[in-house]
Amino acid sequence: MDSSLLFNIATLLYLAAMVLYISYLAFKKNGIGQVASIVTYAGFAIQTFALLTRWRESYQMDIGRIPLSNLYESLVFFTWSTVLLYIIIEFKYKTRAFGAFVLPVAFLALAFINVAGISNDITPLVPALKSNWLFYHVLISFFGYAAFGVAFAVSMIYLLLDTDERGPVVNIVAGIVALLVLASVGYVMAGNGLKTAFWLGLGVLVLAWFIFLIVSGAKHKAQIYLFWSFCVTLAIGMLVALGIDFLYLKAFQHIEAGESLKKHLFEATFVNPSTPVVFISWAAVVGLLFLIWFQGMRLKTFLKQYVPPLNQLDEVTYRMIAVGFPLLTGGIITGAVWANSAWGTYWGWDPKETWSLITWFVYAIYLHARYVRGWKGSQMAVISAVGFLAVIFTYLGVNLVLSGLHSYGGMN
Amino acid sequence: MENKKGFVDIFSERVWKFFSSVKLAVVLLIILAIVSVIGTVIAQNEAPEKYLQEYSQAFVNLFEVLGFFDMYHTWWFVLLLFLLTANLTVCTLDRLPPTLKIITAPLKPIEDESLKALPFKREIIIKAGRGKAEELSVKTLTRHRYRFITTGGPDETQLVTQKGVYSRLGYIITHVSILLVFIGALLGAFFGFKAFLNLPEGRASKVVYLRNEPMWDKIMDTLGVAKSPVIPAADGGLPAMPIGYYVVCDSFDVDYYINAAGIPTGMPSEYHSTLSVYDLQERKILDKRIRVNDPLSYHGITFYQSSFGAIPEGKGKIKLNVRRKNSPAAQTEPVVLDPGQAVYVPSIDRTFKALSFNPYGIRNPATGQVQFFQTENNEFINPTVELEVSRGKGSKPLYKTFIMKTEAGEPSFPEDYTIEFVEYWGARYTGLQVTKDPGVWVVYTGFIMLCVGPVIAFFGSHKKLWVRIQDRKGQTVVTVAGSANRNRIGFEREFNKIADELAK
Repeated sequence: MDSSLLFNIATLLYLAAMVLYISYLAFKKNGIGQVASIVTYAGFAIQTFALLTRWRESYQMDIGRIPLSNLYESLVFFTWSTVLLYIIIEFKYKTRAFGAFVLPVAFLALAFINVAGISNDITPLVPALKSNWLFYHVLISFFGYAAFGVAFAVSMIYLLLDTDERGPVVNIVAGIVALLVLASVGYVMAGNGLKTAFWLGLGVLVLAWFIFLIVSGAKHKAQIYLFWSFCVTLAIGMLVALGIDFLYLKAFQHIEAGESLKKHLFEATFVNPSTPVVFISWAAVVGLLFLIWFQGMRLKTFLKQYVPPLNQLDEVTYRMIAVGFPLLTGGIITGAVWANSAWGTYWGWDPKETWSLITWFVYAIYLHARYVRGWKGSQMAVISAVGFLAVIFTYLGVNLVLSGLHSYGGMN
Repeated sequence: MENKKGFVDIFSERVWKFFSSVKLAVVLLIILAIVSVIGTVIAQNEAPEKYLQEYSQAFVNLFEVLGFFDMYHTWWFVLLLFLLTANLTVCTLDRLPPTLKIITAPLKPIEDESLKALPFKREIIIKAGRGKAEELSVKTLTRHRYRFITTGGPDETQLVTQKGVYSRLGYIITHVSILLVFIGALLGAFFGFKAFLNLPEGRASKVVYLRNEPMWDKIMDTLGVAKSPVIPAADGGLPAMPIGYYVVCDSFDVDYYINAAGIPTGMPSEYHSTLSVYDLQERKILDKRIRVNDPLSYHGITFYQSSFGAIPEGKGKIKLNVRRKNSPAAQTEPVVLDPGQAVYVPSIDRTFKALSFNPYGIRNPATGQVQFFQTENNEFINPTVELEVSRGKGSKPLYKTFIMKTEAGEPSFPEDYTIEFVEYWGARYTGLQVTKDPGVWVVYTGFIMLCVGPVIAFFGSHKKLWVRIQDRKGQTVVTVAGSANRNRIGFEREFNKIADELAK
């Protein structure tokens, strides 16, 4: 059996598990929950086997490398470690409530990769990537990312449950107007060669908002709810846009094996050559944001029956970050050791390194706020969310948006 | 007498207080996180023309003044790092005495007053009497792997115990590890250097060309204490640093991945150079074949495979190996010749003439036809020599053949010998990244501690437990109380288990 067939079976099992977990939430039948768990374990076992098979296949092709070195393989590994972590949590906290949130992520990620089916060729490694440190670096980093991913999901649930009411409609309208104004300012500035200035300014504004939420969020629940809506929109919007991308690329574009998908990201939506498509995409995002903001309270009433109490959610978030932080540290360190063995520089302020350090700073702030200041609750959930935004940027944004050592393909 | 503090005392106290605040740490982390972003958005250390393509002149000037083009080495960014380090040091020193006090504090029996403050406590009445209660308590604590001390008098007995007290050192290990990384980085900047060396095949060098001069040498030279060993470049190039020995490039080559049809794809699988080290008296000390990820280190200086290139107007020599079929490998005869040159090969009594050299030849597996391709960047993807073979010392040509690297002497030759391509030598240089970093082991020590510290800090827990057995109005009352500084939920579970076992 070849690995792609096994990956497909695992994907289908995760789909079944996702449906089962959601029906478990809806019907509250323990039997369904047990079946959901068993299906998840089976999917996980098969995915593990598939990863090992792929590893063996690479040896049969005389390339012989760990299945962890391109976007395809790292996404597969990301879902694998997320499911592994979820299984551990299910065992430890004896609750299946999170399954309905984690399994969809695992399934969607795997489905997108499978639908894409484009760059799953086992391509040989460039010489610099031939190092055992690469294996440890990627392995440890991805476990860390998965832990932070779970922390993010739980924080999102926390923030929603902690909101009493969504607040006046003027909030979301102001938020959307701000988005539109910023977008047009950005458009005008980019046209005048002020692109960098715009992005720096936008970054400052966003950071100022984050800091405001963290420092005085407790008094401004409506703002936190708005933040929640943005985060959820971002997560869903990105997943859906990626899905459309893959479908579009598969249907209309020919992509050569081994060619990076990075160049084509969001080509079907936000960076499409046709202006109407771009316009519709952004309108859809704004619509989604409004919908999520408007319907959030319904989701809350629904969720409230199934999830553990708030203080336990807070504890799970902390636990996940306490697990993720040493892993992130280990990921940065193994990356540094690897760089030192390849180039004689353990730290070069390359964008990817810098962003992983920024992420590290954010979670260091989280841990100090908790240990030294004793902070708990919604502020911490906000920091955890900001941390995960930094993780996403480190993982995808740097590869896709910024250039760096990590995205190079040869020497010189 | 009035105890008046002097200005210096007050000032130093204020400075200490300022640097010992966690708020400062958080503020510094936020500032560092924010400004670090700038250097990832603006490409660092690019050529000035590139910046002018991207930004207007006014912005280039502004960014230049702010140091945004080499942001992580500007004085203000380094100052921020220093502030964070000072903050980290003071914070750690400030909290060290209380932590040590907790660690070294002797276990004391608990009083009613302090009992109130403990988060976990339970009273159990045991009917079997005090002796039995004591026995049960000892057994239970031992079963849970607590080593305890026993105190008490006529009215009460107490078993006092703790676990994981050294986990309180976790944050100190973490902080010290970060300090070590910082100190190691400083050591590297002061006493180390980064340099490069483009070394043609067959050439030697006793200097490398500096990108960063060791700061220490520079300072000592400026102060007039010691002359810097660095040799300034006469023609505006990079200054040279003597390394105290010769490094020689014996050969450089690139291997390429070969596809299923046996044809090299042009995708490099490995770059490697064979380097030798000779002392200044020209005695050979060692040699090593270096690859990417596997450098050569000698006397604290490390040579990394980093790039390669063609020597301008450099002519290479073709190196071949000739061997009679079925003869041992030791009877191989090396043949060296220039393109266009003819050479007599005594062991087989033939003359070879190299008609041409091509960097990328592919033999069609079906027809046997050989085709040549262009390569970029002076790559020799499948070097191929067209060889004319004549009998004896060069009479009439017998036949022509192609000798390819990938075929390694494999294809059948019309006569009783094989010809193997070895290399095309002397036309290229190997690009070496050269570094000296005496701080790297300090950094690595920091790394190891940084892997351990947070784990101890987050998952270790200092747990304290008291079991007090009292006779009260003819009843034996056992009071269990405890506290934990981490993972309260886990400790609560353990505590309840112990209490339940005592209540049985």
